[in-house]
Amino acid sequence: MHIEIDAISKSFGATAALHPVSLAIPSGALVALLGPSGSGKTTLLRILGGLEYPTSGRVLFDGQDATGLTVQQRRAGFVFQSYALFRHMTVFDNIAYGLNARPRGTRPPKAEVARRVTNLLDLIQLPDIGSRYPSQLSGGQRQRVALARALAIEPRMLLLDEPFGALDAKVRKELRQGLRDIHDTTGLTTIFVTHDQDEAMELADLVVVMSGSQSGGRIEQIGKPQDIRARPASAFVRDFIAA
Amino acid sequence: MKAPLIHRSPMPGLGLSMGITLTMLSLVVLIPIGALLLKGASYGPAGIWETVNRPRVWAALFLSFRLSLVAALFNLVFGVLLAWVLVRYRFPGRRLLDAAVDLPFALPTAVAGISLTALYAPTGAFGSLADQIGWKIAYTQWGILIALIFVGLPFVARTVQPVIEEIEREVEEASATLGASRLYTLRHVILPMLMPAALTGFALALARAVGEYGSVIFIAGNIPLVTEIAPLLIIIQLEEFNYDAAAAIGIAMLLISFALLLAINLIQVWSRRRIGHV
Amino acid sequence: MSDATFRPATEETPLARRLLITLVVLGLGLLVLAPLVVVFVEALRQGVGEALASLTHRDAWAAIRLTLTIAAISVPLNAIFGVAAAWFITKFDFRGKAVLITLIDLPFSVSPVVAGLCIVLTFGANTAIGGWLVGQGYPIVFAMPGIILATMFVTFPFVARELIPVMIEQGRTEEEAALTLGAGGWRVFWTVTLPNIRWALLYGVLLCNARAMGEFGAVAVVSGKIRGQTATIPTTIEMLYQEYLSVAAFTLAAVLALLALVTLLLKTLLELRHADQLAATHRH
Repeated sequence: MHIEIDAISKSFGATAALHPVSLAIPSGALVALLGPSGSGKTTLLRILGGLEYPTSGRVLFDGQDATGLTVQQRRAGFVFQSYALFRHMTVFDNIAYGLNARPRGTRPPKAEVARRVTNLLDLIQLPDIGSRYPSQLSGGQRQRVALARALAIEPRMLLLDEPFGALDAKVRKELRQGLRDIHDTTGLTTIFVTHDQDEAMELADLVVVMSGSQSGGRIEQIGKPQDIRARPASAFVRDFIAA
Repeated sequence: MKAPLIHRSPMPGLGLSMGITLTMLSLVVLIPIGALLLKGASYGPAGIWETVNRPRVWAALFLSFRLSLVAALFNLVFGVLLAWVLVRYRFPGRRLLDAAVDLPFALPTAVAGISLTALYAPTGAFGSLADQIGWKIAYTQWGILIALIFVGLPFVARTVQPVIEEIEREVEEASATLGASRLYTLRHVILPMLMPAALTGFALALARAVGEYGSVIFIAGNIPLVTEIAPLLIIIQLEEFNYDAAAAIGIAMLLISFALLLAINLIQVWSRRRIGHV
Repeated sequence: MSDATFRPATEETPLARRLLITLVVLGLGLLVLAPLVVVFVEALRQGVGEALASLTHRDAWAAIRLTLTIAAISVPLNAIFGVAAAWFITKFDFRGKAVLITLIDLPFSVSPVVAGLCIVLTFGANTAIGGWLVGQGYPIVFAMPGIILATMFVTFPFVARELIPVMIEQGRTEEEAALTLGAGGWRVFWTVTLPNIRWALLYGVLLCNARAMGEFGAVAVVSGKIRGQTATIPTTIEMLYQEYLSVAAFTLAAVLALLALVTLLLKTLLELRHADQLAATHRH
C-alpha cells in the first residue's frame, strides 16, 4: 500500500512535536524513521496508525484521504515499544484477538481462526508456545508474538515503535533478520521507528532521518542507506550517522 | 539445607520487636479468639450444631449472609464503575467525590446507623418518598440491605483504583489497532485485568457486611426470623447469660470469616501466578 | 475535520462518559453523602442552642471523657505494636512471615460483636482469669480495661498495615549504613527509621484513632453500657436514640461525624503531600 504524508504537523498544546513534514512511501517498502528522542518520529508513527490526530495535514493510503479513519478502520498492524501483550490471555488468544474482535458478520469461524494462528506461530518460528502466557515468555519471544498478533488482522501496513529497544544485542540481531524475512514474505509496507542508526541502515530500504527542534521534529533527509552514507544532506545527518 | 527459623542478622532490636509483637498479638487477638474456639471445643461439635440448628439461628445466619451477598454484589458493580470514573475522568468535584468514598470507613457505625434510619424511615427524606409508592425501607430487609451497601461501598472501589491507574495505555491502544471496538476492549481486555482486585474487594465487602452490627441494628427492625441479624442474636444470648449458645453462633460466624479470608488469599495467589501481579 | 472531533482510542464516547459520571455522582450522593447531611440536619432540628445544650448533659460529657481516655490509651498502644511488628517483619528474615501477617490482619475479618464475645469469654467474671481479676478488684469486662482491650482488638492492624509496605519499600540499607557508622540500635531507630516512616505512622494513627473512637459493636458487648461509667460516645448515642432524645443523639453523632470529616481531611492532605511515603497500595 502506497502511503503519502502530506504536510503533517502535530502540537500538544503549546509544545510543537512535529513540524509540517511530507513524505511518500512506496508500496512494499521497509522504511526506517531514524532520529534521536524528541525528533517526532514516534509521533509520526502514531499519527499513521490513528492513535494521534494531526494538527494539520493529511494522510493518504493508496491515494485516498485516510486522515478521518478511526484506529479500528485503518487496519494498521501496530507493534508497541512495550509490546502491550494482553497479560491475562494466552499467546494463542493474543494472536487471535483481532480476528475474534470483528463484528459477528465478518468474524471467521473458530477453525479458521485456529488455522491462521497456527500459521502465524510457524511464521514467527515459535510453533509450541500457543498455550503459554506472556509472563512466561522471554523478551524476544514477546516481541515476535506482538508481531504475529499485528499480522493476524491482515493489515495494510505494519508499524513498529522501537521494536528492538529493550532486548540484548544477540537477540536483536536475530529479530532484525526475522523482521526482514517477514517483510519479504508478506510484502507489506513496513515502517519502524528507531534511534539506532546501525539498525536503520542495515534493515531498511528507505531511511528517513529526523531531528528535533523548538518548532517540532522535522525530516532532515530521505534516501537509501548507501546514499545517505555517501551524501549526508546536512551536518546533523553526517554527525548522527557517524555516531 | 532447610532455611533456619530466623536468619542471624546484625540488625538490632530482634528480641524487643519480636517480644512486643508476639506478646501483644497473643494477648489482644490470639488468646481471645482461642478462648472462643476453646469454648466451642468444650461445647463439642454436637452441642454447637444443636444450637445453630434452630430456626431462629439459621434464619439469622442465613439473613446476614444472603443480604451481605446482595450488598457485596451491588458494591462490586458500582465499585468498579466508581473506580473507573474516579481514575479516568476529569470533572468538577472529582477530588471531593474521591474523598467521599472513604466516608463509610471513617464514619462510626452507630452514627451511620441512626442517620440511615432517619433517612429511610417513613418520616425521613427518602423513606417518605418510598412510602408514597408503598415501599417500606426502614425496619425491613431493604433497610438492612441499604445499610450493608453503605458499609461495603469503599472496598471494591479502593482495591480496584490502583489497578486501573496502572493499566498501560498501550494495551488499550493495541486492542484498538487490532480492530476492537471500545466496548469490546473494555469487556475483553480491561475487565479481566480488574477482576482479581474486584473479587478481593468483593470478598472484603462481604466479610465486613456479614459481621456488621452498628450500622444495621437501628434500621433493621430486629424481628426474629425476619429481620434479625446474626450479631444481634449473639448479644441476646449474652444478655441471657447463654455463653455456650453465644459461643456457638460466634464460631459459626468466625468460620464464615475464615472462609472468606481464605478465598481472598487464594484469589491473590491465583492471580499472581496467572498474570504476574494482583 | 477539527481536532475536537477526534476521540483517542483509550476513551469512551462523551455521552457514555457523561452517563457514567452522572450515575456515579448520583449513587454516591444518595448512598453516602445523604446520610452525612442527615446527621447534621437532625442535630440542628431545634436550633444550635438546643444542640450545644445537649452536649453539656452529664451523660454526654461522661461519654466524651471516657471515649477520649480510651483512645488516648489504646491508640498509642496499637501504635507501639504496629511499629514493633513492622520492624520485626521488615528488618529480619524468618519463616512464617505470611502467617504472622495474616494473624495480624485477623481482626479485620472478624465481626466486632464476635470480638467483644471473645474478650468476654477470656476475661469475663465466670472465667478463670476474669474471676481472679475481679476478686483482686480489677474487673475487665463491664469496666474500662475490657473496653480498651476490645478497642485494641478491632483497631489492631491499622498501624502495622500502613507501616509494613512502606518499610519494605524503603529497605534496610539506611539502617545498615547507620550501624556501620557506629550508631546503636535506638539511635538508628530514632534518627534513621522514624523520620522515614513518620507520615505512614501518622496516617495509621489517624485511621486507628477514628475507628477507636467510633467503635460500637465490640464495646456494646464488653462494656455493659453502664451509664456514666462505661458508656462511650457510640453506646451513649444508642441509648439517647432509644430514649427518643433525638437531638441529643444526633448532636453526639455530629461530633463523631465531624471527627470523621477531619480524619478524612487530614488523610487526604497526607496522601497529597506525602504520597511517596505512604503504603504503596491501599488495600483495606
